[in-house]
Amino acid sequence: MNRREFIVKTAGCAALAALDIALPGLTGIKADAGDLPDIVLAKGGPEKATRAAVNALGGMRRFVSQGQRVVIKPNMSFPNPPEMATTTHPEVIRELVRQCVEAGASSVLVLDNPLRDIEICLERSRLKDVCRGFKGSRLGGLKDKGSFKKVQVPGGKDLKSTMVMKQVLKADVLIAAPVAKSHSATGVSLSMKGMMGLIYNRSVFHYAMDLNSAIVDLCTILKPSLTVIDATRILSEGGPGGPGKVITMNRVIASNDMVAADSTAVELGTWYGKKIKASGIEHIRLAHNRGLGSMNISNMSVKEVTG
Amino acid sequence: MRFQRVIQTLTLLLFLLLLWRVAYPLPAWEGLNVFLKLDPLIALGTAASSRAVIEGMGLAVLVLLITLVLGRFFCGHICPMGTTLDVCQRFIKGKNKSDSARGSATGRQYRKFKYLILFFVAGTSLLGISSVFLFSPLSIITRFYSLVIYPLFMLILGLLLETFRPLSEYLGMDALSLVSIKTPYFNTNVFVMFLMATIICLGLLAPRFWCRNLCPAGAIFAILSFRPFFRRRVSEDCTLCGRCARACPAAAIDDDFFNTSYSECIVCLKCQELCPEDAISFFPGWKRHVPAQVDMGKRRLLGAFAAGMGTAAVSMTNLRYLHELEHPKALRSARLIRPPGALPESGFQARCVRCGLCMKGCLTNTLQPVWWEAGMTGVWTPMLFARFAGCEQNCNICGWICPTGAIRPLDLEEKKFAKVGTARIIKSRCIAWEQDKKCLICDEICPYNAISHQPAEGKKATVPVVEESRCNGCGYCEMKCPVKGESAIVIEPTGELRLSSGSYKKRALELGLKLNRAPGTPYMKNQSPLSD
Repeated sequence: MNRREFIVKTAGCAALAALDIALPGLTGIKADAGDLPDIVLAKGGPEKATRAAVNALGGMRRFVSQGQRVVIKPNMSFPNPPEMATTTHPEVIRELVRQCVEAGASSVLVLDNPLRDIEICLERSRLKDVCRGFKGSRLGGLKDKGSFKKVQVPGGKDLKSTMVMKQVLKADVLIAAPVAKSHSATGVSLSMKGMMGLIYNRSVFHYAMDLNSAIVDLCTILKPSLTVIDATRILSEGGPGGPGKVITMNRVIASNDMVAADSTAVELGTWYGKKIKASGIEHIRLAHNRGLGSMNISNMSVKEVTG
Repeated sequence: MRFQRVIQTLTLLLFLLLLWRVAYPLPAWEGLNVFLKLDPLIALGTAASSRAVIEGMGLAVLVLLITLVLGRFFCGHICPMGTTLDVCQRFIKGKNKSDSARGSATGRQYRKFKYLILFFVAGTSLLGISSVFLFSPLSIITRFYSLVIYPLFMLILGLLLETFRPLSEYLGMDALSLVSIKTPYFNTNVFVMFLMATIICLGLLAPRFWCRNLCPAGAIFAILSFRPFFRRRVSEDCTLCGRCARACPAAAIDDDFFNTSYSECIVCLKCQELCPEDAISFFPGWKRHVPAQVDMGKRRLLGAFAAGMGTAAVSMTNLRYLHELEHPKALRSARLIRPPGALPESGFQARCVRCGLCMKGCLTNTLQPVWWEAGMTGVWTPMLFARFAGCEQNCNICGWICPTGAIRPLDLEEKKFAKVGTARIIKSRCIAWEQDKKCLICDEICPYNAISHQPAEGKKATVPVVEESRCNGCGYCEMKCPVKGESAIVIEPTGELRLSSGSYKKRALELGLKLNRAPGTPYMKNQSPLSD
């Protein structure tokens, strides 16, 4: 490293730190987390690992307060069984709903805009009943324009405005709960890519914009306070719709930093027959560079637990 | 309310309820299409034109047997077309206005038409061409409710929901705000409406003008009820006041008020109820009262039969009549994709009565009535309109609801192999091929894993490639293609499977098609999107 580089990088870090003090929460660096880890990697079946992961991160009460409205964003775009790893495991979502209700949430909505027909996606992914028995919680697929509202993307480079689900805009807490899978356009589809399921028109990302950059733009306005990635099994290739190679991992990842959670999933899995670094995924790298979170998970505290 | 009105109301409600229930998922019990199976014209006409026994046609035979005893009870009590016309009659003519056409000669002069239409249908059927869809009351009314009234109902429901959405949001009623109403859309629905509107407006000439004068199913009933067991009788108490004849909605009472045209009587029992002297009764008996004869006119009937054959013959020389797979130079529309399990084209058209149930039930609304794409003989038959929606692989409603077996009922495993066409990429429109952009939507959505992204010479981005043996023709790619206007990937009928019998799976495997995608089966690998 030469002197010039040193100065530039130091200044960058200082600017980021200043920004964090000025606008807490924007950079995803939590100062008040105490002894809590940045990332939790829980081992076990979908339900138990999810519970252990959230508990190790400080429990759901850290994210959800009494009377708050919560939206959980699963992956339910395809009418495939959970074994195909194209949709989030229903046990993961059920556990999150349970925890939110127990933390006192006034409403818990599990929402997505599925690619295929709503009803058949809910049925085949076995997500249909995840809210059953939990008061104030509901599952819904939304496609009609009336359920969305146009919002500006102030920091957007490619995406200047988009239509977001009204229920998401109304929510106090957003929880991303994707399944870890490969994606033919973006390499992987995790929490950041998953945010495309909360907007009305996502195909515009493909034909009118730079897809990776637009995903990061979107995540500047849709930034979950908690990300729980279902890596109980991953779709290693053939994503996002499958069929493809499914690898059993028995892991659930939780973090309050969506970029860190995604990075952990990337480095945990094998993708297209290769082990890759988080920086090998363009939208993760862009998000890191734009201060949305951190992909340097080796510098972060990772706690491993067993559920 | 009169007994007849009670029965009519109940049967119309049942008809609408069953129609409403034609939706995904279908209930385990069958019989949602039972009303169509009661129509003798559908059963006999379709059996004749397709030279086959139609499943469930025994029900129509049963109705005909009952007709021998009870007369045209079906028209007056069961037929949803009759009930609908009765309801509409109240609106197009005031309820109590006197009707000069009733009972008078003008109310009777067109009666013979229905026999002519029946013979016309028989004539076309003889040549294997079905014209049932144009004249069958159950076909017309089911199509009307499915393709016109149902979408209208959903549109209004959706508008109401939109109107009250801000209120429900304000009140925090999440349940209501998560409900979305999917308005169905149908091609040619205006013409479906015109046909029914014409039939309704004929009521201006006389009530139930259609049932009395035109309905060929009514003609079949009329022939069988020329001397029913259960019939109108007038006792000596009659004072010849003539109320019965004026009120008769079928103009079945002769001018002497004693004789009855049993072929016209729909057994509504209105006359019995009206008679101030209680002189009219309906009860079983063989005795007396020679029914008024309608001279059907043998010469005209033969003429109608010949006209039917002639029309069928002309339609067979229509350019669009040439059916693919059945003629090497078929000029079938390149976009005419039939539903999975549709019989080979001529058998399909001979059986399809265009009732619209498959389109009403279609989960994704991709099934649309065609206009002239399938020739004169194919009007209102269903086709997949892939640009609008894809055919969902986990849904097989169309075959299970079809009342005549024009679309075969396939289980989901068989349906996977019932290839309806093949996707073709129009490279000049594709933004990956033409503009070197990173668009992979068709690959992302393809439920059959038939599209992969491969490197191409001189391109930075990978480009989509269709592997034809994996393509089912479901059309999701065409639907989702982000190119404005016509899609850059289109489904064409190339390679479709149309089997009149036997297993689709077996045939597809023989042809080397790889349409199976159960977990664990080999799948097609993409070029890795990860850079090295």
